[in-house]
Amino acid sequence: MAAFTPASPFTQAAAMSSELVYTPIDDIVSIRNHVRASFRAGKAKSVAFRKEQLLQLAYLIQDNTDRFQAALKNDLGRPVVESNLFDISAMITEALHSYKNVDAWVKPDKAPFDSTFFAFSPKVHKEPKGVALIISPFNYPLWCLTPITGAIAAGCAVVIKPSELTPATSQLLAELFPKYLDPDLYRVVNGAVAETTQLLALQWDHILYTGSGRVGRIVATAAARHLTPVTLELGGKSPVLIDANADFELTARRLLWGKMMNSGQTCTAPDYVLVTEPVQKRLVEALKAQWTKFYGGDPRTSGSFSRICAHSHWERIAGLLAETKGEVVLGGDTDRADKYIAPTVVQNVSFSDSLMSEELFGPILAIVPVPSMDAALEYVNNHDAPLALYVFSKDAKFRAHVRANTLSGMFVENDVVVQGGSSITPFGGVGPSGYGSHKGKYSFDTFVHHRSSFNSPKWIDSVEATRFPPYTGKVVTNANALVPSIPYPRPGAQKPPTKWGRWAFLSLAFALIAANRQRIVALVKGAGA
Amino acid sequence: MASLVYTPVHDLPQIREHLRASFRRGKTDSVAYRKEQLLQLAYLFQDNIPRFQEALLADLRRPKIETNLFDLSIIINECMYAYKNIESWTKPEKVPFSIDWFAFSPKVYKEPKGTVLIITPFNFPLYCLAPLTGAIAAGCAAVVKPSELTPVTSALLTELFPKYLDNDLYRIVNGAVEETTKLLELQWDHILYTGGGRVGRLIAKAAATHLTPVTLELGGKSPAVVDANADFDMAAKRILWAKMINAGQVCVAPDYVLVPRHVQSKLVDAFKKHWFAFYGPDPHTSDSFSRICSESHWDRISGMLKNTQGNVILGGEMSKEDKYISPTVVTHVSFTDSLMKEQAQNPLEIFGPVLPIVSVPDIDSALEYINSHDHPLALYAFSNDANVCDYVRKRTLSGAFVANDLLFQGIVSAAPFGGVGGSGYGVHKGKFSFDTFTHQRPVLRSPKWIDLLMSIRYPPYTDKNLKKANQAAMPKIPYPRPGEGDSVNWMRWSVAVFTVLLVVANRTRVLDAIRA
Repeated sequence: MAAFTPASPFTQAAAMSSELVYTPIDDIVSIRNHVRASFRAGKAKSVAFRKEQLLQLAYLIQDNTDRFQAALKNDLGRPVVESNLFDISAMITEALHSYKNVDAWVKPDKAPFDSTFFAFSPKVHKEPKGVALIISPFNYPLWCLTPITGAIAAGCAVVIKPSELTPATSQLLAELFPKYLDPDLYRVVNGAVAETTQLLALQWDHILYTGSGRVGRIVATAAARHLTPVTLELGGKSPVLIDANADFELTARRLLWGKMMNSGQTCTAPDYVLVTEPVQKRLVEALKAQWTKFYGGDPRTSGSFSRICAHSHWERIAGLLAETKGEVVLGGDTDRADKYIAPTVVQNVSFSDSLMSEELFGPILAIVPVPSMDAALEYVNNHDAPLALYVFSKDAKFRAHVRANTLSGMFVENDVVVQGGSSITPFGGVGPSGYGSHKGKYSFDTFVHHRSSFNSPKWIDSVEATRFPPYTGKVVTNANALVPSIPYPRPGAQKPPTKWGRWAFLSLAFALIAANRQRIVALVKGAGA
Repeated sequence: MASLVYTPVHDLPQIREHLRASFRRGKTDSVAYRKEQLLQLAYLFQDNIPRFQEALLADLRRPKIETNLFDLSIIINECMYAYKNIESWTKPEKVPFSIDWFAFSPKVYKEPKGTVLIITPFNFPLYCLAPLTGAIAAGCAAVVKPSELTPVTSALLTELFPKYLDNDLYRIVNGAVEETTKLLELQWDHILYTGGGRVGRLIAKAAATHLTPVTLELGGKSPAVVDANADFDMAAKRILWAKMINAGQVCVAPDYVLVPRHVQSKLVDAFKKHWFAFYGPDPHTSDSFSRICSESHWDRISGMLKNTQGNVILGGEMSKEDKYISPTVVTHVSFTDSLMKEQAQNPLEIFGPVLPIVSVPDIDSALEYINSHDHPLALYAFSNDANVCDYVRKRTLSGAFVANDLLFQGIVSAAPFGGVGGSGYGVHKGKFSFDTFTHQRPVLRSPKWIDLLMSIRYPPYTDKNLKKANQAAMPKIPYPRPGEGDSVNWMRWSVAVFTVLLVVANRTRVLDAIRA
């Protein structure tokens, strides 16, 4: 989707003086080598240094809020409120969350107490993996970059490759990075297919990629050559299940918001809705009311609605819309020159419709009527595990039923998309929606190696002398020697009888004490005197 | 040698489909079911201890006590550890409190990834099977592909699996390259591979086409650094033990020793003493020493040994017919020796009973050598000075680190076992195995009243909304800019001091006022 599609001409680019300068291919190796050398020299070892860089990153964004707003407006026609909420504040929040918690995160974990191994003082140290590569897509250029806060907190060196489809924002990052962050360790590489191919030919100690499954496969294949671990943040068709018991006003408001923000170019956006026919009717009515509240008469001039990032993307989405056999009940206007597709709702969409053929990644909400909610679950389970699954209902049992009978990267009840704002829960897919996770400590853990350490005292050998050869003679010759016995009865076997012997002994002891209590008291007194 | 029956290649897709269908029917949803299977797995091994000992004796001429210590006890322990802890592992996890998010009651649910593939090597067929306990505990279905190089053990596993475990969910598949290639063409929800880096790359590449997450447990040349201040007797005894177990075919075995030049002879003397104590004059007739698993491996190791320019001070005998290489110690080995050689910048792991001792001027040059190569799976440091051990740990990276001993990282269920860089990625053992096969699925529930606080998220983005978004909704940075320091707030201080002065000056009046 993002990284490997050729850049398209940008009409407004000149006004922003935002010609994106691609990094010369020949420089890419030396950039990697330079940050690797600084990493190996131990520049990122001190936690104080990492905190300073995290804070600098927060200031980088805060000092330049208006420039990022303008860049995103230029790149995506994005309303300022959306840039603030989903990109600018997300990055500041993540940087500050890491800043506040890094002291606790870097502390070695103590392994749970274990009577056999406590003498070895087992610990788990948090070691930076090394030099990380983060490739981010066009849709949320700052939000998708937030894993860098985990990489900095972990003590890694980082090269980021922002998208060439957001030239103004990517150029701004390239300008600001060296002003705020240590260029020996943190670098921006700009470019398209050729530059990314060169990056992927090099060895990295971790690669985090956000984008499509097609490019995700290319990234994972390239990483395999170097035995590099990978995090893939992909997408997929995230479904919404709505039952008859939902609050329709609330459902329509949140659904339309989550679908239409950034013109639907959101990896966790609700892709399609599964409802029964009577529910579809009520939902569409509520959506109509909400649509007018959000956008007035014409979304195009509302100032509250973004554009599609590139003409190629516009063509793909407009093509899917043109082919639909469903019934367009809201929106439906398209304009190539402006890369505009109106916030669109299509009802009576069938499973074989064009809108169900791939992730929409545009401002079109497909409503698919199903005979029952069980049929909805069956459809979801017969397809790839989505990045997110949303359910709207006032019935907690129904929501739990949907959760327990599906698998998805994330699950949200009575809302959509909000999970991307939380620094305390893992953000990530499963199956074709990707693997690995980020946000807060999950980002940190992505970029650290959990290195167990032990310290063996000398006296251990007097306890564990059997480990040394020769094995004959001094070692117990019993075949089961040193193999633990199983303290649980075999499944299906009856439970062992209650230990009557132990109970009888205890009762006897009590009876004896009770019978002789005066003698005992006298004895104790006598001893005291 | 027992002949191992390979699984017909055309059966493989069906086996995967069968397991996947059982998994989707929710057979593993119940924790009670998973516990039953874990316990059955423990009994599978405990009921058949003598048979596994015989199998490994046949496959690797392995002393029974080594089989007990490094294969049987570990898999049984791991089963019981998972059995004991599974209730707490599977519980949805509460996340740290956050003022912004508590209203969403955020939790992380532990979902099984699905149908997984575990490929194990010949060297410790049961130890390397231990991640299966995590897969069972996680609720996954699993196909296990044991090594074709241990035919007796693999055949025994194949015989026992259906007798003890649910055949709908847990299966053994046997075979060599052709069967493994077919397995890798299929889609899995996780693959855990233990073995060499070359095959590891093939696995990761095959997994990439299906977007399958992978855990690679590889090896590498794990160094043992012996400081001038070490207890040489203890160091030699433990290193020799760890190196010669299973005839050196151990992924965390010490591959080579780095020792300061001026104390090398002390260490060598200690090695000689313990070598004779362990094996007597002729290890060939000792029943405390294993054989190499195959002739091709024997050829590789004996080739390295024949080409060394170092001094063979202990062992050095080889016999191809019984795949024997004696426990061997080589001194005066240089970094360019056949025993230390590299291929495409990757050091070649010896994986046999040959221990090269490389002397270096000091510890720093040892660390320099280690750091200019791939990160090893394990790093061992020997010193009586805890600071030296810490110094070595802090200046290196490795899968695991052990001070004054070896191999223990592979035994402890409570610590993660896994490599970094060239030695692999991902971890297993205990809860770490469980986590490997689990998807951490966040679940949030949004209350209706949240919209009262978060109304600015909705269009239309009016000027009022914009103002809020630029001010109230924008996170403030409560820390001073780096370099500006924690500026002392003089105003606050002067107000405080002034107040105290006022109170002191007027204390009698204040007291009177209070009394009144």
